[in-house]
Order: sequence, then C-alpha cells, then structure tokens
Amino acid sequence: MSERRAYLARALAALALVTIAAAAHAQSAQDIIAGSDKVRNPGQPFRATDTLTEYVGGKPRDAETLVVYAKEDPATHQFRNLVRYVEPPRDEGKMVLLDGRVLWFYDPSSKASVRISAQQRLIGQAAIADVLTVNLAVDYAGKLLGSETIQDAGRQDRQCWHLDMTAANDQATYNRVEYWVEHESYFPIKAKFYSDSGRLLKILYYRGFQEQLGRMRPTEAIIIDAVDNSLVTTLKFGDYRFQDIPEAWFQREYLPRLRAE
Amino acid sequence: MTARVRALALLAGLTCAAVSALADENNDLDLIPEGAREPAAPAAAPSTAPATGQRIYVENAFILSSLRQTLVPFPPPEPANWQERLFLDLRKEWRLGDRLSLNLSDRLNLRAQDNLPIPNHENVVNDFREAYASWEPLERAYLDFGRINLKSGVAAGFNPTDYFKTRAVVEPLSADPAVLREDRLGTLMLRAQHIWEGGAATAAFAPALYYPSPLYTDTALPSFYPALDRTNAHDRLLVKGNADIVGDFSPELLLYREGDRTSVGTNLTEAIGQKIVAYAEWSGGRQSSLIDEALRYGRQTGTLPANAPAAIAEDPRLHFQSALSIGGSYATETKVTFNLEYHFYQPGFGRNDWANWFRAGRGTTSASPIARELWFIRAYALDQQQPLGEHSIFLRADWVDAFIPDLEITGFINTDLLDGSSFAQVTADYYLSNAWTVGALAAADLGRKHSDFGSLPQEASFLLKLARYF
Repeated sequence: MSERRAYLARALAALALVTIAAAAHAQSAQDIIAGSDKVRNPGQPFRATDTLTEYVGGKPRDAETLVVYAKEDPATHQFRNLVRYVEPPRDEGKMVLLDGRVLWFYDPSSKASVRISAQQRLIGQAAIADVLTVNLAVDYAGKLLGSETIQDAGRQDRQCWHLDMTAANDQATYNRVEYWVEHESYFPIKAKFYSDSGRLLKILYYRGFQEQLGRMRPTEAIIIDAVDNSLVTTLKFGDYRFQDIPEAWFQREYLPRLRAE
Repeated sequence: MTARVRALALLAGLTCAAVSALADENNDLDLIPEGAREPAAPAAAPSTAPATGQRIYVENAFILSSLRQTLVPFPPPEPANWQERLFLDLRKEWRLGDRLSLNLSDRLNLRAQDNLPIPNHENVVNDFREAYASWEPLERAYLDFGRINLKSGVAAGFNPTDYFKTRAVVEPLSADPAVLREDRLGTLMLRAQHIWEGGAATAAFAPALYYPSPLYTDTALPSFYPALDRTNAHDRLLVKGNADIVGDFSPELLLYREGDRTSVGTNLTEAIGQKIVAYAEWSGGRQSSLIDEALRYGRQTGTLPANAPAAIAEDPRLHFQSALSIGGSYATETKVTFNLEYHFYQPGFGRNDWANWFRAGRGTTSASPIARELWFIRAYALDQQQPLGEHSIFLRADWVDAFIPDLEITGFINTDLLDGSSFAQVTADYYLSNAWTVGALAAADLGRKHSDFGSLPQEASFLLKLARYF
C-alpha cells in the first residue's frame, strides 16, 4: 500500500514537474522571441532604407528601394509601418500604410488610396511583408522545440533555440513560422515561413550583425523562395535613424502628404 | 541487456535522425546564389538612394481596332482603325522648404491615327494634368492651390463619390478604371485639409471659369490647351471627412455641391479575416435621368439643335437618385487579387430606355439628327465617367508573377445585368527590368446587337506597348 502511495506521489511529482517544465518552456519561448524582437527592432520610432535585390536563376535582376517608418503602438505593442517606394522608377512615390488590421495602398499617379487585405502584404505592388517592422512575439505563440547547432548564412555554426510559432491573431502575416534564435545574443539566425495550407513559402537567413541605433542588429536578410527555388532576394537594412513620427501619420489621408526626403 | 541494447540503438537512431535533420536544415544554404553569399561591404550596405519625388517615362503604344456594323448607325467620324501614340509622362514634386512644395503632372503626346491627316496640329496633344502649390502653415494643416486631381472613393470599378471625375479623362489607352484615374485632368481649386490623430477633414472649392463646352472627340483635340472648360464649368464645393469610430472602422462622409445641386455620399471599408476587404461607396442627390441630362447638355453647348424634338422620351423632373458600388476584394496565396462589385446607377438606362433607344434608331442613317442625338447620349455618359446601364457587375483579377516572375496579368469584365452584354479586357505587362516594361492588351465588346455593349461600333481592340522609365 505504502509502495503504491509512494509510486502515486512520484507520478504526481513527475506530472507536476512536466507541467511546470512545459509552462517554463512556453514562457521562455515567448521570452526568446521577444528578446529576438529587441535585436531586430529599435525601441523608439525610427526610419530605415531597405534595398531588395532579386536573384533569378542565380543572377541579380530587379532591385527595389523602400523607406520604412515604424513606431510601436503602446496599446498593442505591435509596430505600425509606413512604407514609401523609392525605386524602381515606375513605382516611385507609391506608399503602404499598415496599422493593425488597417492597410492602405496609395498610388500618386492615380491619387487613389485602396484598402488592401493582410494577404496582399505578400503580393502585388504592396508586397512589403519582408520589410515591415513586426514584433513577432505579439503576432505568434511560440513553442520551444529544443536547442540545435545550425549554420548561419556565412556557414558558421550557431547554437540556437529552435522555435515553432503559430499565428496568435489575424494580423500575423504567416500561419506558422519556424525560427532559430542564437543563445545568449538572441540574434535571429534563420526562419521558415508557412502558408495556411502548411506549404513552406520562404526561408530567411539574417546576417551582417552590426551596431545600429544602440545595439547589434542584423543589416541583411536573404530570402529564399521555397516554392520556386530559383528566386532569391537579398534585403539590406540601411540608413537607420531615430525619427519622431506623429500618430496622425498612420492614416490613409496622410499618405499623399508623406514627402520624399 | 536486451533492453539496454534496444535503448542504445534507439538513442543512436534518434541522434542520426537529428544530425540528418540538421544537415538537411543546412542544405537550405545551397540555394543562396553565388553572388549573394557574401555580405555587402559595410560601406555599400546602407542604401541611401534619395527619394526623388518624380516619375518620368516614355511609352509607345500601337492600337488596332476592329469595327462592326451597328443597328443604330454611328455618325461620322468613325472610330479609328489604328492609332499610334508616343508620349512623355512626367510627375514631379519640388520642395521649396519644409512646408512648401510645387507639384506638376503632365503628358505630352505625339499621335497618329487613320482618320487624322499627317502632319496636323492634332498630332501633338499636351495633357496638362496637375500644377499646384502645397503649403503647410500649421502642423498637418494644408492649403493647396492650383490644378489638382482630387480623387475620392474606395471601389475599384465605379466610384460614385469621385465627384471630380466628370469630363476629366483624356484619351485613355486602356478602359481599366485603375488606368482611367491616371489619365485625367485635375480641377483648378483651392483645397484645405487638416489631418489629426484618428481623422481628417477636407474642403475644396473649384470656381466656374468657363461655360460648359461641347464634348471633345479624338479628331478635334487642341494641342497646347489646359482644357479648364472641362473641369471648371461650374462652381463646385466638396467637404469630406473621416474619423475612427470603433476599432478600425473609419467611415468617410462627403457633401458635394455643383451649381445648384447637392449630393451626399459615404465610403465604408472593413477587413474580413486575412484575405477579404469589403467595401461600399454610395452617393445620392436630386437629379434627372441620364437621358435628360445628356440632351440638355447637348442643347446647351450647341452640339444638338436647341429646339430639336427629343428622339426618346425625356423626363426633366428632378428625383433623389442613388449611385452605389458595393463589393469586396479577395487575395489568394497564388498572388491573385479579385475584385467583385455590384454597380447601381439610378439615372442610367433601364429596360424601357434601351427599348426606346433602339426603337428610335431603327431605320435611321449615320447622317440623321436622330442617330447623332442617340449616340450623343452615350458619349455624354462616357465623358461623365458614369455607367450607361442601371445595374452592372464588375469582376477584376490581378495576377502578379503570373506563370513567370515579373509578368503581371490583369483582366476585368463589366456586365450589364439587364441584357447580359459585357466589356472585357485583358492586359499583360512584363517588367523586363527596372527601366523597361513591355505589354499587350486585348479588349472586346461582347453581346447581342440589341444590347448595351453589343451595340457599340468597336468590336475588339488590340494594343502593344513599350515603356522606358527614367
């Protein structure tokens, strides 16, 4: 009887430990994602100039330059973004506003503002999902899969946490993300993005960690199209600057007023 | 012992699987092309390409059209069988300090077509679209003065609240509503706007500077003429504003007065999940039917004889009439965006109007005043950028990276619900590089001869274009 009781006590203790460990894991997964967010995103309103170069079949083909203005919403802790196209010349002056569930695309040639869906961040002229400043910890619920050593974009071994993240709200760009974050530094190393149907869409590597706006941050990303492997895009984040961004900027009527600088 | 061996084997298997999975994980690196494997040099990494605030491009387009016999004879001149267009398009902003800027938008066309003699002053046509100064005297309070293209509305196919669209579209190369908004003249106006957190208000006044002028045709276009008679023939006032009410719901309300008539309107949008945006755009005001408006305009401008009897029944009474565009967009994972809309234009042609139009035109000749009057009504609707039919459905699809990267295919179909006839158009643009774009367009008017689109003289058209951006 006492053996049985002891066995039961051990089992309950083990169950409690597993539960506590799982809770700690869940908590630490979000902490890791949040830590990595702090590496990618400055804590104050800022602007950056992003240059995307698309490689087709291994050869550079198109280039896009966009200026991104980002500011964290104190209510949701998610970033709001204004994106202005600088290049290519045919898209000069086009703009995208992202404020929570509100997305608008503005074309200065037609003077028309069109409300777009979250899905349209990934397609068409407003395909700006890769340059948006996003706190992943707000949009995704993470699960820690374990600790792994993987190679970064420069083929250097990095000891990383491997996280599995699922969309926590309807503002998340992707349904699921696999994410590798380096121990200690919280540097984002690699991510894999999946569609609603579970299809792998993109593989992303961060690199070029440099001092920017007060701490080490990635200055480049390589995005591999997982659907068509012949398409690879490099994304360079540059010209980081803290900038005061008034709340009134984040609405559609302001888009025609956002000036080229 | 056996259990220990089994456990070791399992551990070894798991280790092998993990190592293999990580090796697979690292295989992704092989997909990075040679040229992108090394990080950019620190000096080259920050991209600081200055925003220029300008877009300049040259485009050449050649259009072939196929014409057909119509039940109601089309008055001369017949539409062109072919057109050649070469144009320089410029949009530029100059900053004159932190709070002052000048804006210019212009298109210089060189054109030839089979019903236009060469050389002729009409081979050169300049579209002076916009020129205005913008001043910000207070934080986010703006005063703009000059020729301004003021666009309103949230729908894709028909914008009832886009009050300044009337008579403003100049010789478009495409009937796609998205393109029509680019090829239009601004209105000379004074505009004041204030933008605050969660809302904005705009007031614009455009004075009447000219008497209403006859409709322009593509064989009688002045060369260097600002054509303010198109845009400033009436005193016009627009007041509009929007405010965040609940969450992301921010309706826009509009009040518009032109001459002695007042209209009100609203624009509503709402996101539904990740892929759908629903929208509605409505405008209402007292006005007479499209037929009555057209005939009155034709007589006022001398295009139609002042005392000529109407070919079809007129109803000069003013009624409160509505125009509505309601629908939504849906974006797929395969990079296609669909817009589906229902359009209602109460002053437009109903079933009886169509019956009367065809009955009046039966047995006429192209030289007859009746045929001229009947076709004038349709030209007037087009000039006003209003639908001719009362009820229609609009479906548009835009496919980015269609089949291959950098190929964009856009198609739309506009169907008159009364008779099932349609206008359909497909455009393919291939972005050869950042500077060069090559494209093709095919369009057709489909339907029975006794129908809205089937009764038009142009059966189909085909366009090839090449554009160079600077």
